[in-house]
Amino acid sequence: MNRRFPLLAVLALFVTVALTAGAYQPAIAAGGGISGVALFKGTAPKPKKLKVTKDKKRCDQSPKYDESLVVKDGKLANVIVYIAEVKGGKKLEKKGVTLDQNGCRYAPHVLAVPAGADLTILNPDKVLHNIHTYSKINKPMNRAQPKFKKKLKVKFDKPEIMEVKCDVHGWMGGWIFVAGNPYYSITGEDGAFSLTDLPAGKYNVQIWHEKLGTQTKEVEVKAGETAKLDVEFAG
Amino acid sequence: MAVRGVDPNEEKKSYGTVFFVGSILLVVVSLWAVFDDNITRRVWKVHQSEFVRTDYERAAAALAKEQERLNADPKYAELVKQRAAEVESLESGEKGARLAELRELQQRVEVEYFDADQEVKFVKSELDEAWYEFDHAVQLGEDAGPYRRHIQELQAQQRALEPALDAARKKRADVKAEIREVQGGVKKIDDQLYALEGDKRKWQRQMDNATVTVGPDGFPQFTLYKIPSIQQVVLKDFDRNNFDQQVERVDRCQSCHIAINRAGFDDLPQPLTTHPKRLTFLSDTAHPPRVFGCTVCHEGQGEAVNSLAQAHGNVKFWEHPLLEDNDVQANCVTCHLNVAGLEGAQVVARGQQIFEQVGCTGCHLVEGYGDIPKVGPSLRKVQAKLDPAWMVKWIEDPREFRPNTRMPHFYFKEDEALAAAAYLWSVSRKEADAWLKQHPAPEGYRSGDTAMVKKGEELARSVGCLGCHGFAEDEFTTRIAGKDLVPNLKDIAAKVNPRWTYNWLLDPKSYNPGTRMPSLRLSEDEARALTAYLMTLGTKPEPDADVVARLEEPANVARGEKLVRKYGCAGCHDIPGMEKESRIGVELTTFGSKPLEELFFGNDTSIKHTWKDWTFNKIHSPRVYATERVEQLMPHFDLPEEDIKALRVLLHGFVERKVPEAFKADHSKRARQISAGRRKVQEYNCVGCHEIDGTGGYVRKYYEKNPTLAPPPLNGQGEKVQANWLFGFLQNPENAIRPWLKIRMPTFGFDGPHADTFVNYFAGLSGIEIPYVHVDEGQVPAGYLEAGRTLFSDDYFECGSCHVRGDKKPEGPVEDWAPDLNLARQRLNPDWIEKWILDPQTLQPGTKMPSFYPGGPEDILGGDEKKQIEALTDYIMTLGLKPAATAKAGGETATESGGTGVEEADKQG
Repeated sequence: MNRRFPLLAVLALFVTVALTAGAYQPAIAAGGGISGVALFKGTAPKPKKLKVTKDKKRCDQSPKYDESLVVKDGKLANVIVYIAEVKGGKKLEKKGVTLDQNGCRYAPHVLAVPAGADLTILNPDKVLHNIHTYSKINKPMNRAQPKFKKKLKVKFDKPEIMEVKCDVHGWMGGWIFVAGNPYYSITGEDGAFSLTDLPAGKYNVQIWHEKLGTQTKEVEVKAGETAKLDVEFAG
Repeated sequence: MAVRGVDPNEEKKSYGTVFFVGSILLVVVSLWAVFDDNITRRVWKVHQSEFVRTDYERAAAALAKEQERLNADPKYAELVKQRAAEVESLESGEKGARLAELRELQQRVEVEYFDADQEVKFVKSELDEAWYEFDHAVQLGEDAGPYRRHIQELQAQQRALEPALDAARKKRADVKAEIREVQGGVKKIDDQLYALEGDKRKWQRQMDNATVTVGPDGFPQFTLYKIPSIQQVVLKDFDRNNFDQQVERVDRCQSCHIAINRAGFDDLPQPLTTHPKRLTFLSDTAHPPRVFGCTVCHEGQGEAVNSLAQAHGNVKFWEHPLLEDNDVQANCVTCHLNVAGLEGAQVVARGQQIFEQVGCTGCHLVEGYGDIPKVGPSLRKVQAKLDPAWMVKWIEDPREFRPNTRMPHFYFKEDEALAAAAYLWSVSRKEADAWLKQHPAPEGYRSGDTAMVKKGEELARSVGCLGCHGFAEDEFTTRIAGKDLVPNLKDIAAKVNPRWTYNWLLDPKSYNPGTRMPSLRLSEDEARALTAYLMTLGTKPEPDADVVARLEEPANVARGEKLVRKYGCAGCHDIPGMEKESRIGVELTTFGSKPLEELFFGNDTSIKHTWKDWTFNKIHSPRVYATERVEQLMPHFDLPEEDIKALRVLLHGFVERKVPEAFKADHSKRARQISAGRRKVQEYNCVGCHEIDGTGGYVRKYYEKNPTLAPPPLNGQGEKVQANWLFGFLQNPENAIRPWLKIRMPTFGFDGPHADTFVNYFAGLSGIEIPYVHVDEGQVPAGYLEAGRTLFSDDYFECGSCHVRGDKKPEGPVEDWAPDLNLARQRLNPDWIEKWILDPQTLQPGTKMPSFYPGGPEDILGGDEKKQIEALTDYIMTLGLKPAATAKAGGETATESGGTGVEEADKQG
């Protein structure tokens, strides 16, 4: 027993070091990436102005527009580009995210939160809001956030894209993307997205938009290179 | 010398061969008899032996695995090691030596104790003697002084001796305790091991149960597999014979199905497998087989064990062969009153629903189904309603006009249909004329007026017609067995006229007091618009003078009367002059036990001669057994095969039942009320609009975008609302709770008994007694009303942001509003309100009401959430009160927003 102990200890140490190195290696050795721009083909209709029907004092300070299709110079915002399944690769960091309801509008309109991470929901509005998720995989949630509750912390455990609504203010709508891995990107006004540090290989990239649906594209990622992926949605 | 009667030759004959052959035969036959009795006719022994072996082997394997697992468990290994060390130490080590010493010591202290005890005892006996002498002296009046002194001496002696005895006693106990402690080490370890070895013992027990040990004690013993034996259950009082005497039922099924109630043998083939739904059906709270046996549900010949065919009753003249697959559900109704919603009884429940709703009871009497109202519409005033040519065509082939109608096909030829129509036409004239006189054509009605039609269509799609009727191909809410329970109106203009439609819509009960069609409380304007819309659905037929002339012919009327009577039209329809007609079909109360010999198969040779085949084909093609000589009258219902089978399962259960109470499931008054309520809910198609007990609410499909505009689900309604309120609401509904809804709760015109049936039904479903709700504000803890008001107010929960309070309406569009809380006091149960505030999503998944808890404010009632919910509830129950009462209750006056709603209360009255 005594004689065998040092050997075991050395072995254990070795395994631990190897595992730690594998898990926390920040950049994937021989990794690549995917980047591109989401484009909208055709003329986008002018966003409709939303009618604020109640709590006008708090909610109607600035004009609100329908954000379900945001296009600028042919570039499409609020597109989620993600890969559902990746073997190996970076570890998902459970970093918290904030959703703001300032002025009775969800900001950002489409928000990504890592599965298991804290989502902090802010209510600076001094009115009652409720956060009602229309989720199918996670347990549906409908929590009141009265004015005295400026911050509300929630968590979602399973990857899913779900709609979130406020039943008190019918015009408020947004989307929450619960990410199962770190390979996702949400486009801004410039429509640009990029996924980095992907292990080399072939991937099915999902491109989601709340109104225009989901596209799936197969992309091959080579070590040290960034694959170009252009996405086009037709109006 | 010859003796008379004796044949010397006969004496010389030897019968040795005959006796020899005879004895050989006897031996062979005896052996065969033993063999036949024990092997050929004892299939169950083979099965049981096979099972016992498997059982033993599995337990042995599991035991070995468990032992392996235990050995790998460091805690267990450590204990085993400790135990060995302890035993060794006790036997030959340190502890052993100490134990020997102690034993010796023990002997010594026992002697010491004995001696000391003895001395005290002697003194005590002397004392007894001294006391006697003392008493004696006192009684004789002598001088007791010397005796008293003697007693005192002896007492002093005893006191002197006692410390020594106590010391000896203590010493003895100490030694005993130490011995126990030295020996106790093993026991302590054993206790720990015992806790770890639970599974091991389980497998050992299982192995023991599968074996027997033979041989007398003290001699070498043999362990054998358990010897198979008949496993029987005797139900002493389940059956009764025709003379109402108890008949014992013997049930030996488990002789083969030995593992039916043992978990873990699902992989074995029949008959050794575990019951596929063991936990549902065989648990102690359901039908434990040791009490119920098997044949109570499954039928078969319980006593028989000689062969599979005999045991399952698949032999000639056995009247209850094994029920296969879903057929077994036929027996659920033996003991269960409510099979609707009963787990594992879905098929028979479906059969029951079809039987009740498709119209079977119009012609067939069955005990327990006798009071179901006629399923067809009244024909008393039919002349005022129908187009005559349409009527003839309808009678001839109803499914041509409405493929999903419940009205069956009678195989009528055109002239027969016309005759039947002629009779119905003529008998309805009197009442139709009288009704028409009082119900003139609508004023201002313009056929085809586009504005009116458009308004009508909007109404049809919003006020609630859609809860029952469809207006386009295949649009429906409630269908059973492929039949629309309420007519589809897509071609209604071909059937009825605008005058009838208008008056019918305004007040259905004026045309037919027994109708299930409710009043939607339409204004004349609305009824006119709806009529205009309905008259655009389908093509209005040209008047057919020829048909009208033939309908008037007396010969046709006379022939029609005979046909209507013969085919039992009055079973489903109310027909003037036929109110007393009896049902024309055979009574089916005991149809399930009808022997094969009594079923007439006609000349068709393609149908197998079994009860099941006869019944299926009879429902499938009702005239299949008709011959030239034997006429059959049952019409064709065109039911899907699955539904015919479900009906058959129900029919199979129609047998005479004399089951004693002890075996019956819930037959309480409450259970009967639920059963009665369920029928009424079906009859009035409440489930078209409302989800009740988890089913229905079919109209919600039109409200997917905005579910809050749909009628509310009524799951848990009995717990939610006050019985008094519901009783009143059902008789006289109004739209006050959710004033924003366009769809209206119609007025069914329920009388007290009807409303009572529903109230009891809902209370029964919720499993509550009907409570009398009285809210006494005086009992509300101090500060609660104020706290509730604060929570309710716009400073905290802003309840008024969505909830209506009388005339105080929330901001924003109506579809975002929530029910009127001023009505809560009259309508809701406070206990339910508390549950609802705590967790609305559980009571009604998907509701817009968010959960405020956990997460109540810290600064109210010390942050105690339970108290806050109670306070809110108390406060809500005071909303809508008259000012005096509120003032008295809370000592407050309604002032700011979120107040008591006093002003509204006044207006609400």
